[in-house]
Amino acid sequence: MKKEMDVDDHKLELPDLEAKYSTSITKGLVGAVAAERLLRDGPNELRPPRGTPECVKFGRQLAGGLQCLMWVAAAICLIAYGVQEGQGDRGSADNLYLAIALIAVVVVTGCFGYYQEFKSTNIIASFKNLVPQQATVIREGDKLQINANELVVGDLVEIKGGDRVPADIRIISAQGCKVDNSSLTGESEPQTRSPECTHDSPLETRNIAFFSTMCLEGTATGLVINTGDRTIIGRIASLASGVENEKTPIAIEIEHFVDIIAGLAIFFGATFFVVAMVIGYPFLRAMVFFMAIVVAYVPEGLLATVTVCLSLTAKRLARKNCVVKNLEAVETLGSTSTICSDKTGTLTQNRMTVAHLWFDNQIHTADTTEDQSGQSFDQSSETWTLLSRVVTLCNRAQFKSGQENVPVAKREVIGDASETALLKFAEVTVGTVSEARGRFPKVAELPFNSTNKFQLSVHTAGDRQLLVLKGAPERVLERCSTVMIKGQELPLDAQWREAFEGAYADLGGRGERVLGFCARWLPAGTVAAGTDPEALPEVAVGLCFAGLVAMIDPPRATVPRAVLKCRTAGIRVIMVTGDHPITAKAIAKGVGIISEGSETPEDVAARLRVPLEQVDPRQARARVVTGAELAGMEPGVLEGILRAHPEMVFARTSPQQKLVIVESCQRLGAIVAVTGDGVNDSPALKRADIGVAMGIAGSDAAKNAADMILLDDNFASIVTGVEQGRLIFDNLKKSIAYTLTKNIPELTPYLIYITASVPLPLGCITILFIELCTDIFPSVSLAYERAESDIMHLKPRNPRRDRLVNEPLAAYSYFQIGAIQSFAGFTDYFVAMAQEGWWPLLCLGLRPRWEDTHEQELQDSYGQQWTFEQRRYQQYTCYTVFFISIEMCQIADVLIRKTRRLSLLQQGLFRNHILVIAIVFQVSIGCFLCYCPGMPNIFNFMPIRWAPPPQVPVVVRAHALRPPHPHLRRDPQAGRAAAPRELVGS
Amino acid sequence: MATLNEKKTCSERMENFRRFVWNPETKLFMGRTLINWVWISLYYLAFYVVMTGLFALSIYSLMRTVNPYEPDYQDQLKSPGVTLRPDVYGDRGLQIYYNTSENKTWERLVTTLQTFLTAYTPAAQHLNVNCTGDKYFIQDTFDGPNNTKLSCKFTSDMLQNCSGIADPTFGFPEGKPCFIIKMNRIIKFYPGNGTAPRVDCTYVGDESRPLEVDYYPVNGTFNLHYFPYYGKKAQPTYSNPLVAVKFLNITRNVELKIVCKIIGAGITFDNVHDPYEGKVEFKLKIEN
Repeated sequence: MKKEMDVDDHKLELPDLEAKYSTSITKGLVGAVAAERLLRDGPNELRPPRGTPECVKFGRQLAGGLQCLMWVAAAICLIAYGVQEGQGDRGSADNLYLAIALIAVVVVTGCFGYYQEFKSTNIIASFKNLVPQQATVIREGDKLQINANELVVGDLVEIKGGDRVPADIRIISAQGCKVDNSSLTGESEPQTRSPECTHDSPLETRNIAFFSTMCLEGTATGLVINTGDRTIIGRIASLASGVENEKTPIAIEIEHFVDIIAGLAIFFGATFFVVAMVIGYPFLRAMVFFMAIVVAYVPEGLLATVTVCLSLTAKRLARKNCVVKNLEAVETLGSTSTICSDKTGTLTQNRMTVAHLWFDNQIHTADTTEDQSGQSFDQSSETWTLLSRVVTLCNRAQFKSGQENVPVAKREVIGDASETALLKFAEVTVGTVSEARGRFPKVAELPFNSTNKFQLSVHTAGDRQLLVLKGAPERVLERCSTVMIKGQELPLDAQWREAFEGAYADLGGRGERVLGFCARWLPAGTVAAGTDPEALPEVAVGLCFAGLVAMIDPPRATVPRAVLKCRTAGIRVIMVTGDHPITAKAIAKGVGIISEGSETPEDVAARLRVPLEQVDPRQARARVVTGAELAGMEPGVLEGILRAHPEMVFARTSPQQKLVIVESCQRLGAIVAVTGDGVNDSPALKRADIGVAMGIAGSDAAKNAADMILLDDNFASIVTGVEQGRLIFDNLKKSIAYTLTKNIPELTPYLIYITASVPLPLGCITILFIELCTDIFPSVSLAYERAESDIMHLKPRNPRRDRLVNEPLAAYSYFQIGAIQSFAGFTDYFVAMAQEGWWPLLCLGLRPRWEDTHEQELQDSYGQQWTFEQRRYQQYTCYTVFFISIEMCQIADVLIRKTRRLSLLQQGLFRNHILVIAIVFQVSIGCFLCYCPGMPNIFNFMPIRWAPPPQVPVVVRAHALRPPHPHLRRDPQAGRAAAPRELVGS
Repeated sequence: MATLNEKKTCSERMENFRRFVWNPETKLFMGRTLINWVWISLYYLAFYVVMTGLFALSIYSLMRTVNPYEPDYQDQLKSPGVTLRPDVYGDRGLQIYYNTSENKTWERLVTTLQTFLTAYTPAAQHLNVNCTGDKYFIQDTFDGPNNTKLSCKFTSDMLQNCSGIADPTFGFPEGKPCFIIKMNRIIKFYPGNGTAPRVDCTYVGDESRPLEVDYYPVNGTFNLHYFPYYGKKAQPTYSNPLVAVKFLNITRNVELKIVCKIIGAGITFDNVHDPYEGKVEFKLKIEN
């Protein structure tokens, strides 16, 4: 799958090509043949990646780690129900309710998650371009306009500037044709297309234009050699669909957590199964106990909590223009330790812009920011006046009409990328270009061609004529005899030439495209209107050199800061681009991927003046690797290089190589995010742990492959995503810890019920209310907890060590806080029983008589006699009391869970308003359940008295009481250095 | 993630697990050194000792503060439950079936009654006092021996024909069986608001159909001087007053549904959730 494209049509001579596709390069195909081929090959369009059927998507929502746990629990419940029903046991309907509740939770959260994904898919779908494309085709010698999807192999098509190339085309003839291959190869410079075969590789040769690339200017005629999915783009797109999706880190964490839960559940269940057998329960009864304990360990509310927390963050991200396709991907960005970023369009603006000027023997820096907010250069020199005039006049590009109110940078332009850059530059620095052009009407011009490598035009300027010329600097210099410095025309001397060479090399070394500009005043009438353009170069000699202008596709303004933030957050940013190494390196330096002072081995070699082979790789922090080097590498070498050099740039890489790079990073244990916009990025996007595509510039293929889409194409949004991802990981930890804690006080009543035979202190329905009603709000509100420290200054979590739920967290929740809550609950239970007449010692062993439906005169400690129903309501009172005490402990618990490192006072008790509201809500629901009439018989809640509870859980910050944990981790995420403690005071 | 998701064989997993349990290189037992485990165990031991101590302290102070004579609340005991003797339960509630010609079927019922009434022999009641007033026997002071309150005597002979003295078979063989109705005791419960509560038995659902019943004591009343009850500690010898009902015209070989209600202010018998509150329902079928 990872082999390179095998196309040899570019090497064939035209007659061979005609024979191969049995067509004519003058008349095109015969209509009937075309129809036949269309039938054979199918329409010329990319088959959308086989979308997952909706039911499978929904099914996936029901089959996560936690979901499986709950399915198993529901099944166990149903079995237990069956067993109890078989025994004719009263009250066994509880197990049925439990099973129904478990299934309902899975299904409802599944629907919720599905809805969330459905919504984001819709947002993404709305970005797709649905306008059918037209193509100009020659069939039987007639020029026709047909829909591009009806093209077949062998068709003769014409393309012109502004068209999208309708298929893979072998160029037969071209006039100044340039295409933008950036979405395929990442090269930001327009590529010339001509009939000659210039390279062995089909991707590099000039005589093939690729499907869906843009023709920027000129015209060309070509023969369709591939259509639909067999085009290069189609193959890359299908490469992406062949890549399997990895499990998200959060899914792995949840599985790990389910392992812990399941282990503990079975351990507890088995222990008490043995205990029950020893006590003398019949086997079936003990089996039911076993199942009930295992099920009681399932945190019913957790699934809902996790889903809601993740979708809250997804919403928060969407507000910041990051749309997440898959809820779990929300967290992935937080775990990311490596970002492989495409250059063009992601780090850069994907538009040529004037970056530097060289005149008066000095390099001037132009403003390259998107909104023209940067510093401008000194424009007082007279040389600048000349240079700006040449830049303005020697330019064929023009703004499309009707855009006067649009900012210059955003206006649409007819013309190639560098002319566009110069036009916009002139418009911004000098003023209205069209006006200047009006003052100097054009007399004659010679457009750019690859032989001359310059372009010149002659303009009327009052009673004189002005000849302006721009082109490749060395060609321009050949035609100059003087140079203008500070307004003075001076003859060219050797010293100046040296300065010129230096500046040219300097700007070229920055990865910029350099053009030279020169001019000459001519007497009026030197060039008559309508002169043959071919005669113009003869006039253009002895010119006066004005200056150099260097252009680059500049980095987006927000990128350097974002890269810096990633670095401080311990995330490695790697550039992976199809563009040239020099440009790539220059941009990498510009945005900080190669930091200041870092050297590549080549730099070190140049500095030490030693051959490259002798350079110790450890001396070079940075390294630029090209696709050609990659292709020659043994397996495993790449990992070594990635390990040796923290700052990496990959240039001239093919889509397959991008995939290899991502996989190598993953083999090193990194969680890799890939950002990109082009079709060439889509396999890597798919392979990455999280693929981030650009929403505006991104191709459909990239968006299909990605997990997250940046609607504003802003790389800085990734930083927001990382921050939110880390925050949600931290907060999920809190939520889970909170949710897990109450598992123990829900379980211990049952254990005591079995072993000490007390009347059941806490019922199944009550547990469901705690899990799925009252405690959902506080646990979700923990998702709103703000970051405790600057999480963007921490290293990314180590996926092997920093687990979402680790054993210390489970132990702390279960065996410490959970134990405290159980003791609190039982104290309240015994108090409630004693106050109504059942003293603690009487309760022990009371169960068989208490639950005897035929016993209508059971005596309490005072000699009063109780009917069965009266005892049942007393049992409900106990449920309610136990419920209230768990709730009160949970309020204390949510407060201590607010922080993991800071003191509660530092974090602010009431700063999380949602949490305060959640607590109020929790209390209100508790009150409603207790005091709403009719509750005793519907949900088994009894109104209980407002009495100062004998148990007042006190939140005490007791550093002295913290567990002697020898494993205090360096990473504060798991540390419990300031573990708060809840004390029960009487 | 490739490194995290490597597929492991079962033996590798087992090996990993064994290494987790005891790692000879790092001397880690289940991920910790032994001394670590000791410290953690000590911590948990101390923690649970403290917790249990606090719990014990709470229960101790609860028992110290609880009133030994009467409970703080009687939320569930608004109205007394009513029970029936003999009490034989069928699938749904009390169900008394017997055959007059088969001694075995009713002897069991008779034995139940006899056993029940042993608590009401004069010997069993000798610690209680004879009461004559038809008013509540209110005692604000502890007049009884050992700082207790007095309880009124209730002896089985007060049940006259149903006392089992004259007729030890309680009328079962004749098809005119005696049943004993008892009201559950509730501390400081004053039934009837000054008038003695009485038992009233009817057919279920068809109250107009006459059911010939003899009540003992006369009118089927619970005399007020048995109330209020002051609790086990104050009245250790208290025994519930009884009412016997003798059904006189029971149709043979038909299952009859009979309800005996206690009529009196403060006693409710219309609680749909509690079939034994203020009334007792049973099915009766006498075959021959």
